[in-house]
Amino acid sequence: MAARRVVIIGNGVAGITAALDIRARDDRAEITVVSDESDYFIARTALMYALMDKLPRKGLEPYERHVYDRQRITRVRGRCVDLSAKSRTVTLADGAKLPWDALVIATGARARALDVPGISEVKSGVVNFVSLSDLDACEALIPSTRRAVVVGGGLIGVELVESLVHHRLPTTFVAREKWYWPAGLCREEGELVAAHIRKRGADLRIEETISSVSVDGSGRVSGVTLGSGDSVPCELFGVAIGVEPDVEWLARCESAPVIDRGVVVDEHLRTSVDGVWAIGDCAVVRSANRSVYEPIWYTAKRHGAFVARQLTGSKERYVPPVFVNSAKFFELEYTTVGDAGELGARSLYLSLPNKEVTVRLIERDGALSAFNAIGSRWDTTVIARWIDEQRSIDWVRSHLREAQFDVEFGRARIERMVERELEVRQ
Amino acid sequence: MKQRGAIGWLKHDVTHRGVTAWALALAIFAFYVVLYWGDDARGVNPFDRLAWLLHLGTRGQAGAKWTFYGALYTLAVTLGGVAFLRKYGHNRYQVIRTIVVIVVQATLAFSVPLIMKMAGHPEHYFSYLWPLKMYYFEPGFIRHNPAPLVLWSFIGSLVLAPLLALRYGKRWYCSWVCGCGGLANTAGDSFRHLSDKSEKAWRFEKVAIYSTLVICVVTTSVVLASAFVQGSHPQLDLWSEKLRTNYGLIVSSLLSGIIGVAAYPIGGTRVWCRYFCPMAAVLGIFQRAGRFRIRVKEDQCISCGMCSEHCEMGIDVRAYAQANESFTRASCVGCGMCAEVCPRGVLKLENTHTKDPQEKLVQLRLRK
Repeated sequence: MAARRVVIIGNGVAGITAALDIRARDDRAEITVVSDESDYFIARTALMYALMDKLPRKGLEPYERHVYDRQRITRVRGRCVDLSAKSRTVTLADGAKLPWDALVIATGARARALDVPGISEVKSGVVNFVSLSDLDACEALIPSTRRAVVVGGGLIGVELVESLVHHRLPTTFVAREKWYWPAGLCREEGELVAAHIRKRGADLRIEETISSVSVDGSGRVSGVTLGSGDSVPCELFGVAIGVEPDVEWLARCESAPVIDRGVVVDEHLRTSVDGVWAIGDCAVVRSANRSVYEPIWYTAKRHGAFVARQLTGSKERYVPPVFVNSAKFFELEYTTVGDAGELGARSLYLSLPNKEVTVRLIERDGALSAFNAIGSRWDTTVIARWIDEQRSIDWVRSHLREAQFDVEFGRARIERMVERELEVRQ
Repeated sequence: MKQRGAIGWLKHDVTHRGVTAWALALAIFAFYVVLYWGDDARGVNPFDRLAWLLHLGTRGQAGAKWTFYGALYTLAVTLGGVAFLRKYGHNRYQVIRTIVVIVVQATLAFSVPLIMKMAGHPEHYFSYLWPLKMYYFEPGFIRHNPAPLVLWSFIGSLVLAPLLALRYGKRWYCSWVCGCGGLANTAGDSFRHLSDKSEKAWRFEKVAIYSTLVICVVTTSVVLASAFVQGSHPQLDLWSEKLRTNYGLIVSSLLSGIIGVAAYPIGGTRVWCRYFCPMAAVLGIFQRAGRFRIRVKEDQCISCGMCSEHCEMGIDVRAYAQANESFTRASCVGCGMCAEVCPRGVLKLENTHTKDPQEKLVQLRLRK
């Protein structure tokens, strides 16, 4: 029997994890990875560190370059424009056709565009912060920038703001929500993080929007007008209002899979087209009762490993474990475990006086449903287990120490924390 | 991307092997050459004169340059340490470690031997042990030193150092006590990322460091043998003298001093420690057998690479972190910077590792 030809579109963490894991389980498969973005897999999570000169460009690559040859993974640079299930091929922009026996779509997500008056006039000065070309754009613009504005109070926005502040640019950070990042933070934590961001030098505006963008004679951004009427001059305008699946090209294909926001996949991450899987930030996982779109690193990596098992004989269903995510707001580390999106739930809010250290335990049906921490480190594996075991928040409160992961001598002093019972407000 | 302006350029250039980095490396190299071999016909070194001028020795006193060098080294560790503390003051492991390193340098490695010398005793460096100090086991040293000092050298080298390395890893020495590590982690901190992270460098490291260890053990043995047979084998005495001199010149002066420090702006701060130090080699062996490890939190690495970039020993920490593998590498000096810079708090240094018997069984089965 001939070796199976696996083509993976996209060399992000989902695609590369899939490629490496397939190789680990199938020595004979012919594995090809197609990428439009870069020759080698890069960690987009580290774009900010490259922008701040804390990493060289090559440091963005999680594997040494010889790994791909050693693992016999063929890298092809190009953009896919067509997919045919009949002939089992994908077509690249230059006309080349790649045959496949199994196809994995891992094209990821792209930055969502901002639709405000004036933005269509812009020729330069607007940047996103999710790809290698965005990093290039930021580096090209920063030297000629005196002031910057970033819109979007999420995790990518704050990374871009931190990088701009590092380059000593006065930066206005615009977030439309009632407090900073309500998607992940309750009000108290949101206010604490907002204060931290301001202390570190960014001009954070909460409950604010962009109403228009203006350009100078050459088409370069010259300023924005805010919803409150303020106008802020700027030569660099960062847009970080979220990401959306990068699947537009698929809709035009000969054999287009079902798309609903992203490529719809079942519990085996199979698309509606036979022999085609979709993973990572371009996939929406639909099961009997819900649709899940989770454009985060950990999920993409898990999808990659999962699809590798599917392609090498496993019949298991994709069952996402307890949700875990983490982030960093300037110096403040943030960890979340579980599902925090419950209004009016009982929660225990612990904080260290005069320190930017907080822990929140949220309860649902008498058991811990979510754990959020700022400013200290936690073993997420232990906390996820507690959620699985349906421990009460009082039990968790008295066992917190077992899950601490701080540096030696630097343990957050839980015993000195001030405790308040709060409703989760939103 | 570097920051704007002349300061931004300089900060980048000196820490990224630019012109200024090479100039700095050359300047340090020249300093050491003059310090070691710059004595004039009367045996007076320019740094002797400088030392006299600074009242670091009485006028005309030979060897005052070493007092000057010790003072300069201590000053560099202290000032670099203060800068380091300002940057990483939020991390208590780094704060305590850095204070200890500064204090050890200022006392055991500088003022204590100085005071001993001023009081007419032969100076003694309590913070250095065999194999860093070759002569601690030699009959000459044993005969001419008071019993407590001799006892300290023996117990320290043969019992204390291995035991502590088994219990806490080599870090207790390499990044808490040793002066080489002290300078690297203080004044040298902005060069730590220059270490080579490639697999090739790792292969070279293993050959180089264990070769130095073998040379060190052979030299010690020959010198000891020659002392025991007491002149009955003149050929042995000759070899012993030759080996001792060459080891002193190549390993102690050239590699640890000159190459070790002058290479900071080019090869990173731990060139000596990583590739050549025999003490690090010994401690590394005990570390591998002991309880220290870097624990990786499961499924939390985002592969950003800050840990690998900041590893002064050139360990590709990210390779372990993204594969969810807790690990112990012989070269790890336990400076804790990978854990410090990890934006997701995935890494943790710990001393509690005991191999799970189940884990061992699985490994055995896999090997078959």
